[in-house]
Amino acid sequence: MPLFGSRDVSSLLDGAPTMPDLQTDSLTIERVEILHVRYEIRSAPMLEMLPAALHPTIPPTLSVWGMKVRGSDIDDFTLAQVCIGCRAGVRPRGFLLSCFNDNDASAKDLAARWGFRQDAGTPKLDVAHHRTQLTVERDGKTILDIGLVSPEAISGNDVQYVANMNLAHTPSGPRLVQVDPEFVFHKADRGKPYVEVFDAEELGDDRIVLSWPVAASFTVADVTLPKLRYTCKVDVPAMAGTETVA
Amino acid sequence: MKFGIFYEISVPRPWTPGREKQVYDNCIEQVKLADELGFDQVWCVEHHFLEEYSHSPAPELFLTACAMVTERIRVGHGIIVCVPEFNHLIKVAERTAVLDILSGGRLEVGTGRSATWTELAGFGADPDETKKTWDEYVRVLPKMWTNERFGYNGRAVSFPERAIIPKPLQQPHPPMWVAVTSPGTELDAADRGLGSLGLTFGGFAEQEKKVKEYRRRIQLCDPVGDFVNEQVNTVNFLYCHEDVKQGGATGQRLAGTFNYMASQLLAAREAYPTRSYPSLGLLPAVRQEAEGPGDANGLPEGLAIGDPDRIIEVIKRWEGVGVDRINFLLNAAETVPQQEVLDSMRLFAAEVMPAFADSTEKVVA
Repeated sequence: MPLFGSRDVSSLLDGAPTMPDLQTDSLTIERVEILHVRYEIRSAPMLEMLPAALHPTIPPTLSVWGMKVRGSDIDDFTLAQVCIGCRAGVRPRGFLLSCFNDNDASAKDLAARWGFRQDAGTPKLDVAHHRTQLTVERDGKTILDIGLVSPEAISGNDVQYVANMNLAHTPSGPRLVQVDPEFVFHKADRGKPYVEVFDAEELGDDRIVLSWPVAASFTVADVTLPKLRYTCKVDVPAMAGTETVA
Repeated sequence: MKFGIFYEISVPRPWTPGREKQVYDNCIEQVKLADELGFDQVWCVEHHFLEEYSHSPAPELFLTACAMVTERIRVGHGIIVCVPEFNHLIKVAERTAVLDILSGGRLEVGTGRSATWTELAGFGADPDETKKTWDEYVRVLPKMWTNERFGYNGRAVSFPERAIIPKPLQQPHPPMWVAVTSPGTELDAADRGLGSLGLTFGGFAEQEKKVKEYRRRIQLCDPVGDFVNEQVNTVNFLYCHEDVKQGGATGQRLAGTFNYMASQLLAAREAYPTRSYPSLGLLPAVRQEAEGPGDANGLPEGLAIGDPDRIIEVIKRWEGVGVDRINFLLNAAETVPQQEVLDSMRLFAAEVMPAFADSTEKVVA
């Protein structure tokens, strides 16, 4: 059988959001600018970075997302998140390690309704024709500077994003909350990923070492954050511990 | 209808010393029995780095060993990854010719391009390029086999005129196939006169449509080789037992194990945005079959698991949609004990093969 994670999630639970209930209505946000950068990471600690519910991908990977919302029906915000690639049973997923939002009200809403963490730091997504750059600053220090260069147009159909598994306190206890947004693409570019700064400790796990670039994409898409359908116990395999949201 | 067996050579953890040898030995024992029972082909994949799922980076060696201990069964080298970072074109021509000679002219050549980021990145291959290099390989390979000397100035590979030796024993050359996983590849196969080395993707109705279109298109083909290999080969699981419930339960465990392992692979499409890989590859398709609607026994309708009567019924349906050959996966991660695998093969040969007139030359009960 595939390998399972062995992470003690207590340190992540300290900063995990509390969701008063799981009855979340869906929310569509139009024309979100999305940067997605994927790297392979060193395999030695891959099991210790994931909870027992999840399998690591082989090779282990890390995804960094930047999302910028402007002029939609909701308040503007910019979000950055760091996820470790994994499998929940047979499903491709990303385990959320850290999440930053420059709009406190938005951060609280995303935390309460979909279990996105609220980590201290200010994300900025800078979109240019020749490159897209995502930074996160905390206390005057840059803890993330990552992005895409040499963009070339591709089809949105060529892009595949995977769902999040967000660790949260729920009425049933600590759970991994599956957040599986839908995307309707208006534009898509693929480019070369680059990393200038990746402060692993500040981004959720000091054991992460980026080892090999995979790909970067920049898209503009309508994003629908869904009604929640599934949660998963943290400490048993997802095949056994997945629960349907009533 | 002809029957073959198909190997990923999956090795479950823990990888204790001798574990891989034990799995290889089990496979060889199955191949020897398959030869005695009248199975027509044994296929072996080329995969790299796919932990537990496939420990088969050198199928030509495994197939050579198979050829040395068998008499009739044909050896399917497939798929060979037709990407220069994995296999230089000249090496492909040379080693297939040697295998054809050593097997006494029993080689089938399967071609493809790899579908995982794990493998493509491991060899530094560009996912955007693999379909193009595959196309170049299949067009040039037959010329390398059939011309005394051959030089080539191409896009992916170029080399001056050389005697590429030895030549295959089969004349004019071994049959060629292409792995059909991405949508539309069956049309690529047809247009080039290649056999379709496909999977049980979709249900019977969908497969029938694809086979019909393949048959129509191949009539109009411009063959890359010296002959047209119009055949449709599919993959299925096999577990045959006198008791349908026990056969079904073990077969579903086999299919479930394989699919679970397969789902752990990091598909090229998942990691790297590219139009070169419009689907995740073979794995969701196989899973779809395994999780599809059940029949009266509660078993997935297209899978060759259960008792002989049920398996005959399933294969008759595949035959009805135009499939010429079925290659069976006999085990996954050694989830089925070796003796049960061998018993399943014997029962299949005794009770199922005779229902398909041309399926065997010799059946041993």
